[in-house]
Amino acid sequence: MELKAIINSPGLWIASSFMVIVVVAQSIIFIRAAFKEAKNVGLTREQCVRGMRSAMITAIGPSFSPVIILVGLLAVLGAPTAWMRMNDIGAGRTELAMANAAASVIGAELQAGNFTIEAFGAALWGMALNNLGWMVVALVLTHRMAKAVNLLNKKYDPKWIKLMMAGATIGLFAYLLSGQLVGKGSPNITAAVVSAGTMLFISKALKKYPKLQEPALGISMLVGMFVATAIA
Amino acid sequence: MSNNSSREVSFSDNMVKIGIITVCLAIVANFIPALYLWLVHGIIPDFSTILSIWSLAFVTFGVGWIVQPITYYSIMGVSGSYIGWVAGSVADLRAPCATMAQKVAGVEAGTPEGDIMSTIGVTSSVFVSVTIITIFTFIGAYTIPLLPEFIKSSFAYILPAVFGAVYAEMSSKNLEIGAGTIACGLILVYLLPKLGVSSIYMTLFVIAAGMLVARVVYTMKKKKEQDN
Repeated sequence: MELKAIINSPGLWIASSFMVIVVVAQSIIFIRAAFKEAKNVGLTREQCVRGMRSAMITAIGPSFSPVIILVGLLAVLGAPTAWMRMNDIGAGRTELAMANAAASVIGAELQAGNFTIEAFGAALWGMALNNLGWMVVALVLTHRMAKAVNLLNKKYDPKWIKLMMAGATIGLFAYLLSGQLVGKGSPNITAAVVSAGTMLFISKALKKYPKLQEPALGISMLVGMFVATAIA
Repeated sequence: MSNNSSREVSFSDNMVKIGIITVCLAIVANFIPALYLWLVHGIIPDFSTILSIWSLAFVTFGVGWIVQPITYYSIMGVSGSYIGWVAGSVADLRAPCATMAQKVAGVEAGTPEGDIMSTIGVTSSVFVSVTIITIFTFIGAYTIPLLPEFIKSSFAYILPAVFGAVYAEMSSKNLEIGAGTIACGLILVYLLPKLGVSSIYMTLFVIAAGMLVARVVYTMKKKKEQDN
């Protein structure tokens, strides 16, 4: 069976679907557990549904980042593999880089003449082994981190711990945001500033329109993107 | 008070159990295509090649494997972490949705209610992203080139726009911390590469700056309370 046929074969589609099934099933189980536990912490069903709606609207825009890269991956790795890898851990660029690096270990390159079925196999192992890293760390460290935070809350003023964690989160996103601004040109700055300004405006000045709050991030993102494109 | 914390514990224990089982399943599913290629088509790199590939991955991405789940824990929480490191797109998709779910429910991060809303937010984002990615797997190659040029160009600004809005939302309750931290962030991201600092360490520096700014603001506010 030749390379292209295998890469797009029904067998590979089935093999690739297990990960996507786990991803979706995991979320179904977790959201049901969350809704069930909600009343125990004093959250109403209304609040939960509102949160769900807002998250779904907010997710639409950023989901297009993987879509752009997906189209590139389709040509190189075939639909089943691209579909699976874009739905799991590992940004598109990372998967592509890893696939290429793995192929190079056996002397081949993606999309080059020497990309044989063996190179494809190497690419599959490469992406799997890389993604394994994050999953193992999450598996091993997550509950330990939860315990660590509980300990910190017992030892120190919980208000300060909460503020410190907020500071750490804000720090992390300050890093991500700065990475998009420093040395990237003025359209990026425009996009970020306009988006941030829109978000603050909707949250504060338009506070009395609760219907606007749910799609606020989605709207802000689009306004930022479009203004930056128009001005660029 | 103790009643609350026992519920907290039971919820957390449940989440951890679900998380561990689902992540283990994900780890297995992760390898199925490679195993399929081996068992059905007889194609598998030899063991030393697999080891070389793993070493390559470790050297290139290994630090991220360890640092990222730790640094994102503060926003993702327990369930969010189990979900996020399986489904991916943590910074630009899962975290913003967790934040927004908390915002519209009027709860804070780091509280039991906050954790539940964050779980709801992250899971909801997974349903949307899987749907969109699946749709575009089939129609993407045809439809993307048909989009108007303006829309296609605007995709280049998804990240600064998303991070700008998320940052604004996170800072809205703590404007001083937000302003102080982005100032530090911009300076550090500008200066540190010139000193040869790699991006992983840069992340840690800016996070440290955020915690420092938070400490300063906390002390200043406490002083104000005492003076009053």
